[in-house]
Amino acid sequence: MIDLLFPDATLLAIVLRSVLVSGTATTLAVLLGVPVGYLIARRTFPGRTVLLGFINTGMGMPPVVVGLVVWLLLVRSGPLGDLGLIYTSYAMVLAQFLIATPIVIGFTTASFQALPPQLGELLAVLGAGRLRTLWTLAQEAKLGLLVAVMAAFGGIVSEVGASMIVGGNLERSTRVLTTAIVTETSRGQIERALALGLALLALSFVVNLGLTVVQQRTRP
Amino acid sequence: MDVHIENVRVKRSGRTVLEISSLHFHARQTTAILGPNGAGKTTLLRLIAGLERSRTGEIRVGGKPVQRGQVAYVFQEQVFLRKSVRANLELGLRLRGLPRTETDERIERALSLLGIAHLEERRADRLSGGEGRRVTLARALCLRAPLVLLDEPLAGLDEGSYAQLLDELPQLLAAFDATTLLVTHNRQEAIRLAQHLVVLVNGAVQAAGDKRDVVANPGVSQVAQALGYSVLRVDGRHVAVPPGALRLGRGPVEWTMIVEDVLDLIKSREIIGRVGDSRVRVECPTTGESIHRGDQVFVHAEKAFDVRCDPTS
Repeated sequence: MIDLLFPDATLLAIVLRSVLVSGTATTLAVLLGVPVGYLIARRTFPGRTVLLGFINTGMGMPPVVVGLVVWLLLVRSGPLGDLGLIYTSYAMVLAQFLIATPIVIGFTTASFQALPPQLGELLAVLGAGRLRTLWTLAQEAKLGLLVAVMAAFGGIVSEVGASMIVGGNLERSTRVLTTAIVTETSRGQIERALALGLALLALSFVVNLGLTVVQQRTRP
Repeated sequence: MDVHIENVRVKRSGRTVLEISSLHFHARQTTAILGPNGAGKTTLLRLIAGLERSRTGEIRVGGKPVQRGQVAYVFQEQVFLRKSVRANLELGLRLRGLPRTETDERIERALSLLGIAHLEERRADRLSGGEGRRVTLARALCLRAPLVLLDEPLAGLDEGSYAQLLDELPQLLAAFDATTLLVTHNRQEAIRLAQHLVVLVNGAVQAAGDKRDVVANPGVSQVAQALGYSVLRVDGRHVAVPPGALRLGRGPVEWTMIVEDVLDLIKSREIIGRVGDSRVRVECPTTGESIHRGDQVFVHAEKAFDVRCDPTS
């Protein structure tokens, strides 16, 4: 049936593009968001509460607004227009990264703050360096950190506004599952739209199942 | 390794919480650090462990600045990784890069000495208070550090666990074979376990030395109180009486007191006597007479010391 609906193997390409764009954006958000969340959780500095307020607001930021800001930055006449990134997968990664990062930071901060405050001091006294301390505490906060990854990936793989604005929904280069669903629906191709919807659900389920298995392997 | 502290000061929110001009801890001996809540006892341990910083002065262990891995610290709160007891003990040894065979040998010995070999595979953060405390001590023991810092190691235990662990601690301290600093607010623990006493009050050292000298000559009222003495103000001077040594009635060292003061002391169990059924009635145990608010009574003790009262503390 899939072959009948998508004879040119476009479905596979769209699924792979969705995985690549959202996977890269999630990875980058984790690489930045986990250390930043760790620092916010463990340090006190002026403006910390205000910063957390901004981050918590960012966790609920409408993707279409993020898309609009990124579009304004990357459009040919914009400040970063010379980079030529608008309507490419890179622009979509950037927009999704900006959506995912506050989610990762917010959940990471909460996860590290939920650990006993003396745990870091215990590791310091035992002789752990900074990276070792971060790694050990991250293992202790694994449940919450994997929730951060799931929430971030789930949030960006299912968003449509930002991807549509900065990616342009170009069939052979920037069309992802969500924008393809919009396109097929507007064309009246409801069967194709439904198949894409099922593919999106299946992708989301497979990724989250994998993360859940890791999360629950050493359930406390 | 001996520990020498010189001219350190720790401030928090603009307030000085610890200020020590000079303090020495003897190598391979146990020093108890006594003092009321907020005296700076834990801050002193944290400073030595490098968890607090002093902008001035220095701390030297064996003549050198404190090195990573020299300190074993037992926190007042029981802190564990959400892993097995063995994994919790292994962590510090792995960080020191010890070979597997030595790690195993140290863990086995520590668990055996603390009597918790059967808990090895149990989750450390799910143990009872007494079991958890033994694990924290085993974790410190297997590090074989030259400097051991114990912050209220018997805090929060039920009566049975407390008595049992208190009995075992001298043997454990001998096994540490280290310069040991024991923070406690319990004078009995301090006197039983340590060779030396340091009394901290309001962030300052009020007494330091061999425990017999400090106990025999508390010097100032704050030290006497930290050691559990009753400090009475009688005839314009301050007198320290060993715990439980005050009696109503006449005796070798005697004073007259107003009944209100005596009542307070009886209620706080510092005077051995009997309280009547009303808030003002006291029965003198020697004569059996009722005494009333405003009356003067004799109190006495077998032994008492004059102490200075430092109004700045």
